[in-house]
Amino acid sequence: MKRYPRWPIHLALLAVSFVMLVPFYWVLKTSVSGENIFSYPPSIIPQNPIPYYYVDVWYAIPFARFFFNSVVVSAMTVVANVVLNAMAGYALTRHFHGKTLVMMLFLSCMMIPFQATIIPAYLITAKLNLLDTYLGLALPMFSTIICIFVFKASFDAVPRSLIDAAKIDGLSEWKIIWKVMMPLAKSAMATNVILSFIWSWNNFMWPLISTRSPTMQTLPLGLARFLSYQEDTTGALYAFCIMVLAPGLLLFLLAQKEFVQGLTSGATKG
Amino acid sequence: MIDDDFRRPDWKGWLLNRFVLVPLTLVVIALGWNAFVMTHNHGIVAGRVLDASGAPVEGADVQLWVFNFATFSVKASTTTKPDGTFQFDNNPSHNIQVSAEKPGVGRSARISVRLYFQSEDFYLKEPLRLTNGA
Repeated sequence: MKRYPRWPIHLALLAVSFVMLVPFYWVLKTSVSGENIFSYPPSIIPQNPIPYYYVDVWYAIPFARFFFNSVVVSAMTVVANVVLNAMAGYALTRHFHGKTLVMMLFLSCMMIPFQATIIPAYLITAKLNLLDTYLGLALPMFSTIICIFVFKASFDAVPRSLIDAAKIDGLSEWKIIWKVMMPLAKSAMATNVILSFIWSWNNFMWPLISTRSPTMQTLPLGLARFLSYQEDTTGALYAFCIMVLAPGLLLFLLAQKEFVQGLTSGATKG
Repeated sequence: MIDDDFRRPDWKGWLLNRFVLVPLTLVVIALGWNAFVMTHNHGIVAGRVLDASGAPVEGADVQLWVFNFATFSVKASTTTKPDGTFQFDNNPSHNIQVSAEKPGVGRSARISVRLYFQSEDFYLKEPLRLTNGA
């Protein structure tokens, strides 16, 4: 079999990577140089880089408080997503009456945008007295259908005989999930962690609606508040973007191997 | 025991992995930085004032300007000692300017100082020079 040279693929990948990374580099560069985006000619390497725009951001708004709020809400969302989605995903691997209907319902619900459900979500949260609380901020993100299907695809790949063996050994369904399925679904877990974290971390609309006190705001709201405060924001705005992006990027870099595995598991079945 | 059929992961496996070590390193860095900040945030801003010939200026009026939302405003004033040195002990900001003036000797340019954190202790490396044309 004739082997084609790999360098054209690598060259194309390099070019695509360059195009995708340039905006990130530009944000990073501007965050330390404060250079106006319209300045001409643009400097590729930052001239006299300084870290003070980050200091400005830190003190312009209660950044530490917003960061803490975002961390708490995201942590609650991640834990809830892993636990609830694993349970739902496992249930969908079993046979029960109405399973097809449930699957259809799930898939059809994916087509409804969150904006369409905001009013009922707000009313339910208000009835539960959870407005302006961490639990109320995290509640609508506690389970996402895409992540349920990620777990389902991963659990489907586990041989049926393994579950039968665990049952013969006397394990309950609960223990089968946590002691048999979950250790085999680390990629799905990583995918759940990353996706739920990023969605929760970047969520703007729900915190905007459900928070009332400034001390309960999260970082995306802080960014909007920061923009309304400052006029000359070139360097500080980009520094803010880096500070908001950094945790998500770090999490992705930490778990990218499992993340990619999780998204592709089940894709090659059949 | 049924549970024994599934080998428990040892503590090293749980602790010595990138998901624990990276956040732990960040926490250590944050704690170290906060310790540094707590020991260097007395609000001291100090320096010297010289005249055009390089001689120390006694009794010059030195002003501390603090960035206030959109502009700089005077936060504090002090006068220089016989050796030309001055010191502020109550700088609350991270974005300040310092200027000096003495009638008959001249005035200095307003020097911008950016600090890494609020109330950071800072000693001006270059003295404020009073000139008539400033």
